[in-house]
Amino acid sequence: MADHTTLPHRFFLSISLLSILAVSQPDLTKELVSLRSSSESGVIRLTDDTVSKFITSVSTPRPYSLIIFFNSIDLNSNPLQEFRREFAFVSASFIANNNNRSDVANKVFFCEIDESSDSEAFGLFGIQFLPQICLVDPLMENLQDKTGRMEEEDVDGTAESVVEFIESRTNLTVGPLHRPPLLSKTQISVIVALIAISTPFLIKKVLKGETVLHNSRVWLFCTVLVYFFSVSGTMHNIIKGMPMFVRDHEDSNKLVFFYKGENFQLGAEGLSVGLLYNVVGLLLAYVTNALVRVRSVSGQRVFMMLAMVVSLLAVKKVVYLNSWKTGYEIQTYWPSSWH
Amino acid sequence: MGAKKASPDLLNSSFSFKSLKLKTKQQELLLRVSILGLVYVLAFIARLFSVLRYESMIHEFDPYFNYRTTLYLTEKGFYEFWNWFDSESWYPLGRIIGGTLYPGLMVTAALIYWTLRFLRFFVHIREVCVLTAPFFASNTTIVAYFFGKEIWDTGAGLVAAALIAICPGYISRSVAGSYDNEAVAIFALLLTFYLFVKAVKTGSLSWALGSAFGYFYMVSAWGGYVFIINLVPLYVLVLLITGRYSMRLYVAYNCMYILGMLLAMQIRFVGFQHVQSGEHMGAMGVFLLMQVFYFLDWVKYQLNDTKLFQTFLRITVTSAILVGGIALGVGTASGYISPWTGRFYSLLDPTYAKDHIPIIASVSEHQPTAWSSFMFDYHILLFLFPAGLYFCFKRLSDATIFIVMYGLTSLYFAGVMVRLILVATPAVCLISAIAVSATVKNLTSLLRTKQKVPQTGSTKGVGSSKSSSKVTLDQSQPFQKNGAIALLVGVFYLLSRYAIHCTWVTSEAYSSPSIVLAARGAHGNRIIFDDYREAYYWLRQNTPTDAKVMSWWDYGYQITAMGNRTVIVDNNTWNNTHIATVGRAMSSYEDEAYDIMRSLDVNYVLVVFGGVTGYSSDDINKFLWMVRIGGGVYPVIKEPDYLVNGEFRVDKGASPKMLNCLMYKLCYYRFGELVTEYGKPTGYDRARGVEIGNKDIKLEHLEEAYTTSNWIVRIYRVKPPTNRL
Repeated sequence: MADHTTLPHRFFLSISLLSILAVSQPDLTKELVSLRSSSESGVIRLTDDTVSKFITSVSTPRPYSLIIFFNSIDLNSNPLQEFRREFAFVSASFIANNNNRSDVANKVFFCEIDESSDSEAFGLFGIQFLPQICLVDPLMENLQDKTGRMEEEDVDGTAESVVEFIESRTNLTVGPLHRPPLLSKTQISVIVALIAISTPFLIKKVLKGETVLHNSRVWLFCTVLVYFFSVSGTMHNIIKGMPMFVRDHEDSNKLVFFYKGENFQLGAEGLSVGLLYNVVGLLLAYVTNALVRVRSVSGQRVFMMLAMVVSLLAVKKVVYLNSWKTGYEIQTYWPSSWH
Repeated sequence: MGAKKASPDLLNSSFSFKSLKLKTKQQELLLRVSILGLVYVLAFIARLFSVLRYESMIHEFDPYFNYRTTLYLTEKGFYEFWNWFDSESWYPLGRIIGGTLYPGLMVTAALIYWTLRFLRFFVHIREVCVLTAPFFASNTTIVAYFFGKEIWDTGAGLVAAALIAICPGYISRSVAGSYDNEAVAIFALLLTFYLFVKAVKTGSLSWALGSAFGYFYMVSAWGGYVFIINLVPLYVLVLLITGRYSMRLYVAYNCMYILGMLLAMQIRFVGFQHVQSGEHMGAMGVFLLMQVFYFLDWVKYQLNDTKLFQTFLRITVTSAILVGGIALGVGTASGYISPWTGRFYSLLDPTYAKDHIPIIASVSEHQPTAWSSFMFDYHILLFLFPAGLYFCFKRLSDATIFIVMYGLTSLYFAGVMVRLILVATPAVCLISAIAVSATVKNLTSLLRTKQKVPQTGSTKGVGSSKSSSKVTLDQSQPFQKNGAIALLVGVFYLLSRYAIHCTWVTSEAYSSPSIVLAARGAHGNRIIFDDYREAYYWLRQNTPTDAKVMSWWDYGYQITAMGNRTVIVDNNTWNNTHIATVGRAMSSYEDEAYDIMRSLDVNYVLVVFGGVTGYSSDDINKFLWMVRIGGGVYPVIKEPDYLVNGEFRVDKGASPKMLNCLMYKLCYYRFGELVTEYGKPTGYDRARGVEIGNKDIKLEHLEEAYTTSNWIVRIYRVKPPTNRL
């Protein structure tokens, strides 16, 4: 606890020292500023080289502080990337709010280190878990020091938590957060215009009873869609936040689509199996109900053969996948006298 | 279905039928009845695997409570049961049993029991309880037959009955011994739906009355009645929107809603929820909307001027919506209408439970469903379902609209929670049955026209089959016939795979009582672990009758039912704070836990431990949930204290808090001396596959009282406070 209260003081001290030292190392700050202006939302991507250039090989006190977000693309974790976007909002808001005060704006730089490409730099900090944010203040020498880290329970993945962290540690104010609106103004105006134009037509159609609601084909399509999403375990993916696929642990270029083990699945496998169900079911319906009305005999024959082969393959595939996934072997029980 | 279709050939060749000289219709009826009879028996016997493999006993957790209350009901009578205050559970709070349960199951079992006694069959109440679920599963097949007949034709009804008789999704909750509310509830659910559909079709008051009583039975049996009271109004609303409003619908819904609501209020646990809870408001809104529709219809009839009517329409609709909105707003704001419950929310917004209600999220049957679980419970029905949907849309009627809506909503809910697969099962079976029946009918009629056999009476029905046979008559290609035969063979192959799958699943996965565990030994022989009952009977015979036993809530019902001792918490989970207190005690150090246990008057502590046998659903594996639930109420308990780098461990690398908490000590006491597996060090935990981290456990305030033969249940006595003199 004591560490936290002293941190702002350390920061003050360093700021006062900066005024003297800033003259000696102006190039680095300038370089950081240019890197920042060229990167998206002002988050600088640090590599193994730049970490040594801007942090380890610069003598303390450095003329700037770095706020580093530790990322890992390979983890393929949605919450982590969500947090990364929030971090970018903070960075962009900070720059926007302090646009005309270069003395503030050029003291703090938002950075990111990716474990998958720059594991060496990542290792320097001794990070054990993600997400993690670290403030490298001008006086910090031991990068493994945990005082600059964000407290584990404070990391909740929101931009607000990052702002709180920065403001409590540095005496700087980030200012109001500028989140991009869900829809841009032009999009909203286009949508409003479309609705306004279509309303009279819609009303006319409703009165006439000619809407999509009165078309049974649309309903059929919707029901099949609902069925598809239900049995393919989409709710499972939403609730558990499963990704569509993951990268292989050993070979990061290989993608894993199917997960072995019951009660757990990846997004893509459920969808593909759900598709197979629907293909077989609808083919069966089509063959027995609509195909018989087709006049061309050869057409009937070809389609029927095709439908049978496709159904057979699909059923076989699903059964195979199921026994592979669950590890169950279904067997028949014959009367004991038959053995 | 197979037998029915083959009937003409079979009848021609068989001598006995000929000599009876039955008319075609009579032959068909005979066949239908005998198939139904066979299906009825099949549904019953398929569920007896558990009795054959183990013995006639009650399964799992909740059924033990139901059994205990049924016993009480048959011994003391209905009024005593209705007014029962149970001081043996939730000590020191107690539980008002009559006001906090759905009595349908107990009353049903008691009635069967009394009837059997009256008929001079002297059976034990336990046998009645064990066999209640299979009996009602059999009855469900009959309802499914009539339902199928109503929405499609008799063929579909027969197939539906056969499919539902062995569908694993239903069997999972209705094997012999699983004496739970769902056992009768699915029967009641399907019956209510069937009667309602019948009422809408005929517009007759008697069917609507029947459906109201079916609803009453459902409400008395299971909390899942909320599904009915929301699905039926939704169905009515869809009919209104798609312009299918009729007087029949008006009669059916009004009668069913009003009577059903009044009847449901007689169940104390439900009480006035129908007029007070947000979950039931949809039904009331649709009820009022029906009145507006009827009123408008009447005004339209009275007014001949269209323009005048248009104005009137606009004013009425606006004011009706306004009044309804204001009433709902005022009701909710004043607290008269209660907001939706957590369980309901978690169905509509699936991520809700995970964030807000750990006690719901902790139960394994509340987990969302992966595709393999659907495959496990439905098998080929999943392939047939889309075809069934297609056929339903081909022949759209009030009844098929209902079954499609029932199927889709319940499948969505089944995707959110594994246990709701059960509710979707009847709909999936019915829709798949339509697919099978329509396909087979189309194909066989195609075959028969080729053979120039005159059409028999059994092919009335499907319009598409008629048109298809007409088309094929024009073109006589042998290939068509071959194709039809190939398709038929394919369909029957699939159905036989379904039968094999269902039998296997029933026998291997759904027939274990979970109170007696079975494992395969090294030589392939079956080993039975009967430790639970051993422990509970020990409690019953060796502890004072007023002893209080503390355990995690999973075992509460079993301890009260079999051990006949008072428990602190049980599976009812109505008081989260009380459960959290137990969770806190289990995850604290022994001296802190001792204070908590003293304050709750605990005499014995019971833990379930799988380290010796490799039984994985033991208390150590449930421990994190105890920490989470305890920490939810008492912030002193922090989950990270029990984890090392986010990982739950029990070996040397475990966190110090974990190694010294009460649960760890009680589970692993004296375990460090034991060799569990050849070639492994002492204290090797077989359930987690590690050597434990704390082998030298000393107990200060507790002492080991009893450990069962396979160490699965361990009971400790809480020592009285030391004499301070």
